Amino acid sequence: MPGLIERYGTVAAGLALIAAFAAFAPNFAALGNIINVLKDTSFLAIMALGFTLALTVAELDLSIAEVASLAAVVVGWLVQSKVSPALAIGAALATAAAIGVVNGFCVTVLRVPSLIVTLGTAAVARGLAFMATQGVAFVGRWPTGFTGLARGATLGIPNLVLWLAGVTAASWALITWTRTGAHMTATGEAEEAARLAGIATARMKRLGLLLSSLGAGITAVLLAANLSSAAPNMAGDYFLYAIAAVLLGMTMFAPGRPNVAGTVFAALVLKVLGNGLVLLGAAYYVQDIVLGAIMIGSVAVSTVVTNTPAFANTLAFRARA
Amino acid sequence: MAETGGPDRAPLLSLRGIGKNYGAVVAVRDVDLDVYPGEVLAICGDNGAGKSSLIKIMSGAQAPSAGTIRLRGAETRFRSPHDALLQGVATIYQDLALAPRLSIAANVFMGAELTRPLGLKFLRVLDRARMADEARAYLRRLSVEIADTRRPVAGLSGGQRQAVAISRALRWDAGIVIMDEPTAALGVKETAQVLDLIRRLKSEGRVVILISHNMADVAALATRVVVMRAGAKVIDRPAEGLTPDDLGHMIITGRDVAQ
Repeated sequence: MPGLIERYGTVAAGLALIAAFAAFAPNFAALGNIINVLKDTSFLAIMALGFTLALTVAELDLSIAEVASLAAVVVGWLVQSKVSPALAIGAALATAAAIGVVNGFCVTVLRVPSLIVTLGTAAVARGLAFMATQGVAFVGRWPTGFTGLARGATLGIPNLVLWLAGVTAASWALITWTRTGAHMTATGEAEEAARLAGIATARMKRLGLLLSSLGAGITAVLLAANLSSAAPNMAGDYFLYAIAAVLLGMTMFAPGRPNVAGTVFAALVLKVLGNGLVLLGAAYYVQDIVLGAIMIGSVAVSTVVTNTPAFANTLAFRARA
Repeated sequence: MAETGGPDRAPLLSLRGIGKNYGAVVAVRDVDLDVYPGEVLAICGDNGAGKSSLIKIMSGAQAPSAGTIRLRGAETRFRSPHDALLQGVATIYQDLALAPRLSIAANVFMGAELTRPLGLKFLRVLDRARMADEARAYLRRLSVEIADTRRPVAGLSGGQRQAVAISRALRWDAGIVIMDEPTAALGVKETAQVLDLIRRLKSEGRVVILISHNMADVAALATRVVVMRAGAKVIDRPAEGLTPDDLGHMIITGRDVAQ
């Protein structure tokens, strides 16, 4: 079993980073700044949690950002057209879920690797988003019943943070408490063994990809509500961050394996890092360089710590009898 | 020893006229085979003799082209390895059976996890504590002591891994355990451990059907030997008194050493 350093080493490093920024970055520890970081973390972490669930069943979902943009356009369009927010949100989540279903169908029935399928559906989603908007953004004075989902607070806690807490709790409960979660994990860890043990591995893969798209859809609704606007590329910036959060999360708590707690904490660390660098006066491009290094470094750490190649299950092109 | 069975005992598993062909290639032809409780049946034969195809039919991995399978006297068919498992026929696969990064308990209970109610009646959650305890108990029945079954399988020896795979069969209470080359990848000490596991299964009255290239293992363990040749069963006899050399001779010539 991996020891304390393997499981909590990068967690400690993340906490040290936060402490260092609190000590040295001007205004970092101000309440307003901390709340902003937490809100920004919410979008990222919810999207990354979806990717985590796809990776739990050993599939990649590279369509999350485009799916989120498309879902944001759908909700923005409908809210702009005075459709009730509840209906608009339902339509956006249904759109995202539909792409998740297509991803799952292509992976499990047509047996196209998810790496390819989700690149393809990402392009399709982007095309649809630009088609719906004709390239411009939906902007307007939207009802507070909708924007309040992201901008409001409940009992003094920002709603965004509550949404993150809810999605985190639901994901965690699914994976650690339910038989379905155990079957998803077994499918991702050893597909053939799971199949021989009677687990419906194809169904688990479809579920993982569906939940991944749904995470993107929830992120989209919150992003649109927060900005009172929806543009056909609005979630693009979150893509690499979401992947990085999952990869960094895989070095935490359960080394080498995608896990809910790791993803959420890693998302916080990445957002703290970006915020702290800005406050310290680093140029905007420094963030990208650091992000790339973290992505590669995380997988290297996972590989060394677990002494097994990361993504061995995910990137294996399966030949099923 | 009376493990070879006889007309007075009912066979647990009974094959009649089993055939398997892949297009024009005949892999198994007209095999009759009865397996009795408490037997360790070794299926021997050279590569391509049809023993793997026969095993796949018995484990549910493939459907026979001809013939019938009876389990405890009733005609049945196995739609998949899992279907066979549900009917009490477990197959221990050499490499594919375990998820190394998951816990021992999770591997033993894979696909058949235990749950407990969470307050409300209809809401059930995984019962990890009970799975850990019961996994430990299954392993103990196989004389393998592992105190913490929440540890990942990755840290176990080859023999201990076989014990985990067999524990899964016990969890389903499988009456028939099929093992394909169970000692192929193991060292001397671990091989001895696996042979001991097989003896334990036998002493519990379970049937073990064994494919092995290791004639010493077969001679040490089997109560009955079946030799396959060109898809057909050519020898079916008690294993008592057979040496590894006798077994090798029978596989090469296809003739019983006693004749």
